[in-house]
Formats: sequence, C-alpha cells, structure tokens
Amino acid sequence: MRPRPPAMRTKRRYILARILPYGATPDQKDVYLSVVEAATSLFGDAAVGLAQPAVVFCDGGYAVIRCRRGTEKDIATALATVTAIGVCRAALRAVAVSGTIHALKRRVRPIRPLSGDGEMTIEGRCFTMYRYPRQKVDLVEKSIKHQKLLFFTEPDLEER
Amino acid sequence: MKITDASVRPYPAGDSTLARMAVEAAELGFDSVVAIGEGAPPVGGAAVLRGAVISGASPKEVIKQVREPAAQHADVVFVNAGDIAFNRAVVSIKEVQVLRNIHAARKNAFDHVAARSAAQRGLAVDISLAPLIQYRGTKRQRALQQYEDILLLHRRYGFLLTISSGACSILEQRSVREIRGLCALFGMTGAEVNEALASVGRIVEPDQPVRVVG
Repeated sequence: MRPRPPAMRTKRRYILARILPYGATPDQKDVYLSVVEAATSLFGDAAVGLAQPAVVFCDGGYAVIRCRRGTEKDIATALATVTAIGVCRAALRAVAVSGTIHALKRRVRPIRPLSGDGEMTIEGRCFTMYRYPRQKVDLVEKSIKHQKLLFFTEPDLEER
Repeated sequence: MKITDASVRPYPAGDSTLARMAVEAAELGFDSVVAIGEGAPPVGGAAVLRGAVISGASPKEVIKQVREPAAQHADVVFVNAGDIAFNRAVVSIKEVQVLRNIHAARKNAFDHVAARSAAQRGLAVDISLAPLIQYRGTKRQRALQQYEDILLLHRRYGFLLTISSGACSILEQRSVREIRGLCALFGMTGAEVNEALASVGRIVEPDQPVRVVG
C-alpha cells in the first residue's frame, strides 16, 4: 500500500516522559496499557480514540508517547494520573513535547546508579541500596514478590 | 512569590524521607513544601515548613487541639473539613489557617457563609490533587465537582486557595506544569494556579501595615 502524501497525513506530537522509580524497566505494552487506562478514565473513550495515543519508545528510564497534534496537553495531563505500570507502582513525568522523536531523544539524560551499592536492614527487612546523583538512594527490598521501595538520601542513611 | 506544595507526608507515614521529597520538590519547580508532622529542615532541595493537621469531631475539640504544642509550633495549621455547621464554626477560629480534605466532605459543606468568613479572616481552602491522581470513576468525578464549586466561591468571595499533592511518596509528587494541567480539569486558569501555589507564603508571612522602626 502506498503511503499517503505528506499533506494528507495526520499531524502528530511526541511526549517524552521519564519513568519513576529510577531503574524500572517496564514492558512497552504495559506502559501503553497504563497510559490508555489513565487517559480513558480521565477523558473517556471518544476523546482518547481521537487522540490516538501510542507508546513508540520505552528504554533507559524514558518513554515516548505519540498522540495527535492538539491533544498533547490532555495526554500529558493523563500521564500525571498514572500510578502504576503493570503491577508495580510507578509514575510518568512529562519532560518535553516535540514534533519529532529525534528532537526528544536529544533531551534524554540517562540516569544510571552510581557505584557503592550495598545492603542495609530497616525494621527487620533487608534492602539493596542503589545510589543516584544528587545524593539520592533508592532501597529495594530483597524479596521475590511485592518488593517494598524506600526513597532516601545519603544524609538520611548517615543518621541511621 | 514562593511556590509551595501545601502538604506532603514523608517517611514513616510514606515511603520517602523528607529530605528526598524536598530534593524532588526542588526538581519539580517548588520553592518549599509543607511537611505534615515533620519539621527538621533538610540540607538541600526545597525549604520545609512544618504543618499540623487537626481532625476534630466538634469545633470545641478543634479549639482544644490548636492550643496543644504540636499545633503551636507548626507553621501551617490545617483542619479536616466536616459538615456545614462544623466548617462555618471552624473558619472563625483564629489559629486555623487552612481547611483541608474538602473533597471528602458532603456536597455544599463549604457554603457561601463559610466562604465569606474565610475571605474576611484570610483562611485558605486546600485543593488536594491526590483524589484526581489516585481515584478513578465516581470518586474522582465527585472530587472534581467539589473543586469546581470551591473555585466558584473563590471567584465570588476571594478567599485563599492552596494546592497540595498530599504525596506520601516521591512517585506521588507532581510538577508545577502537571498541576496546571490537573487543575485545568475543573476550570482553574494558570494565573489562579500560580496564585494558589503562592498562598502558603502569604499565610506564613501575611501582609501587614508598614511599621516605622526607630
């Protein structure tokens, strides 16, 4: 099938969203389902159907969400109401909006854990520490299911 | 003008410490946060104000609780909204600064009489974004209705509004831009959102007549 001529194609916008917590690597389909669920419950089927949201990229702690031009504000608002991806608690923070994926990828700043990971025990539970820039420390419970997450800073750990 | 998140609940009530929430708040565009029940200032990030929440069954109980040390030492004193008579009585208590949890109260629990008193006394009404973010379906619809009604009264009588994330975790904190989008759902304009985000600063440091010193 021949593609439509450029003037007849639907104009699109792309939203770059950061996935929280750091280190989360959700499946692209799970991100899509979360975004569509949040948008549908907020604006309804008709509005979301016209907005045509889709997740076109999901890697390195970021996701790129595509939508029709003119609906990007609504979709960005819907992203703010995402509270979970799959079964894990998560948040999507809209970082930038652009007309091309290329422009958004220039805004991606991968956040990788710093060296110095370790373990610590809080209230009888064993946690693995992941250190991030700006003295942030994420604690992930050592468990197979329902891992508890705690968000601390270096000074908080020094106090303990 | 200080942009303030009017309530966060740090660890142990939530999963994020106050210092971490302050760092995140600064990254999200806030100058300060009001921490419920906490007050130790963190090293970096946004400034932290101490908040105290009072939930009394009757105005008498509220008066008793606002005189306790926890409320006396707080920068901002919140009271959970109740029924219409309770709210009318509470807005006239001098020590109370913000009426919160209005989304959980009955419809019209905060009426034009309470709105007029709140405007005269400089009391603020808190708009929590937690119901808009966390709830789905009829619960969220009811919260949106309540907030639209509050906004209508605010435009008519001019009492202060504050906006809070009510976050227990950094995952529940939202940026100023996201807050504008969420508040637009019930018709709040960008200018009104900016004014509401700056209200805590006005409550903590109210406008006073110029004093001649020396």
